[in-house]
Amino acid sequence: MAAPRSIAIVAPRYPEGETVGGAETLLRRLAERLAAGGLEVAFLATCARDHFTWANEWPAGRSEVRGVVVHRFPVNADRNVPLFLARQAAIDRGETLSRAEQLEWLRHSVNSDALLEHLRAEGARYDRVLAGPYLFGLVYHAALLHPEKTLLVPCLHDEPFARQPVIREMFEAVRGGLFNSEPELELAARLLGFDPRRGAVVGMGIEEFEADSSAFARRRGLRAPYVFYCGRREAGKGTPLLTDYVRVFRERTGREIELVCAGSGPLDAAPYIRDVGFLSESEKREAMAGAVAFIHPSLLESFGIVLLEAFMAGAPGLVRAGGTVLRRLCERSGGGLWFRHYPDFEAELMLLMDDPALRRRMGAQARAFVRREYGWPAVEARLRRALEEL
Amino acid sequence: MNTDILEIGADGVDAAAVVERIRKIVDEKIAAGAYADARIAAAERTNLAQLKNDEQFAGFYLQCLRDAVYVDISDFEIRERRARLAPLLVRLKKAIWSLLKFYTYRLWSQQNQVNGLLVTGLESVDEKSSEKIRALEARVAELEKRLAALEGRPAGEPPGA
Repeated sequence: MAAPRSIAIVAPRYPEGETVGGAETLLRRLAERLAAGGLEVAFLATCARDHFTWANEWPAGRSEVRGVVVHRFPVNADRNVPLFLARQAAIDRGETLSRAEQLEWLRHSVNSDALLEHLRAEGARYDRVLAGPYLFGLVYHAALLHPEKTLLVPCLHDEPFARQPVIREMFEAVRGGLFNSEPELELAARLLGFDPRRGAVVGMGIEEFEADSSAFARRRGLRAPYVFYCGRREAGKGTPLLTDYVRVFRERTGREIELVCAGSGPLDAAPYIRDVGFLSESEKREAMAGAVAFIHPSLLESFGIVLLEAFMAGAPGLVRAGGTVLRRLCERSGGGLWFRHYPDFEAELMLLMDDPALRRRMGAQARAFVRREYGWPAVEARLRRALEEL
Repeated sequence: MNTDILEIGADGVDAAAVVERIRKIVDEKIAAGAYADARIAAAERTNLAQLKNDEQFAGFYLQCLRDAVYVDISDFEIRERRARLAPLLVRLKKAIWSLLKFYTYRLWSQQNQVNGLLVTGLESVDEKSSEKIRALEARVAELEKRLAALEGRPAGEPPGA
């Protein structure tokens, strides 16, 4: 099959110089790599910046960013947000929605008729359309405009939204899918009957870096060893479990350990919990490098960028056994451990605290794994192969 | 913890083997009651959905719950950290406690009774369903053995293998 020359990438937002969702960051990075490799790449997104309001904050129009042509289109003004939220809540509660109700959910999700019109009119220009993440109305409608050339980048999670028949139909209709990990592809096969031969595991490249492992503790005045978490703080990410476990660990074992949390969201107030808010990229890497372990308590990840970054910093991971993607990364790399419940957590954290040699070796294995599997050359090779073969 | 077994091969650490070894030790300690701790039961509040598939953990969790279930309604030492008025305040607090005890004791003893009955009920359901599952598993194994004998293949080998 001839290699595609022109690619359109569809996502709800284009992340420009700011932190937005992992899926959009992933698509932007893939777009930049493809453009740097000589392909024509158009990134089609809405004018929204905020994923709560979806207000049109960026001006509509065309711009060029790092070799990628970015087209921004306004979000539809006729969204019925209360209806969307009602349908979304019903799905979340596990109710069975009629097909018409599922379509209403997607219709009143984030959409842009202007973007779809562009894709309809200019579709012939593009050899492939990459669209993601899966649960936005915009992505659903865009995928079905040119399904024969669309590759979903779903960032799929095992959640009620993924079990809606309309989502299954979308996966059946499109040409194929690019997945971030083997467990994600397996989940698509299990949940949606997706034929794995129509999918490829690509992921995202992690930049190689070196970080001073003592700089963060020195700068922040940390005297005790610490574990580190970075990301949104919410129930869905497992942060309440993390703070509970660390509290009980300290009480039961009498060991002095602090929990350092970067990112945003509510957090328990305790003397041993350090909320450092948003960190610069270099400080985040230093915090990772100096940690006893990077703890990622989320169950619903399709990739785990931040865990891979921690691996690159040489930090061993500590993740939940039920979080298939993160556990598989720990298993494959030999760079992390996974726990079913508190007793496992206590034993594993004690082990990592008490055996610095083991910790260093696991960290070294983790770093070598990321360089080998998630360095940009490896990811780009997988991406190009997927574009040619799917 | 003994880490001798954690060295798998010359090149590196086998994380799966480490986790397996830790699980074995932890499961033994759970069986010995080392984690029967009300604080653990409370910390697992956001992990229950994950634990429901772990047969062994249900027993452990109930054990923790048994420890956590009773509200302490006994008398306790009444103190006052403000030194200047301490004797007076302690006397006042003791008087308040003696007045309230009659009311709270009745309330909380009933609550403890309900909590205890609930845990006993859960334990009994868990025990019965575990017994039933064990009996069914034994029956399935027996039936598989007989089927294998009828089909002339070694027991344990799946049909059509």
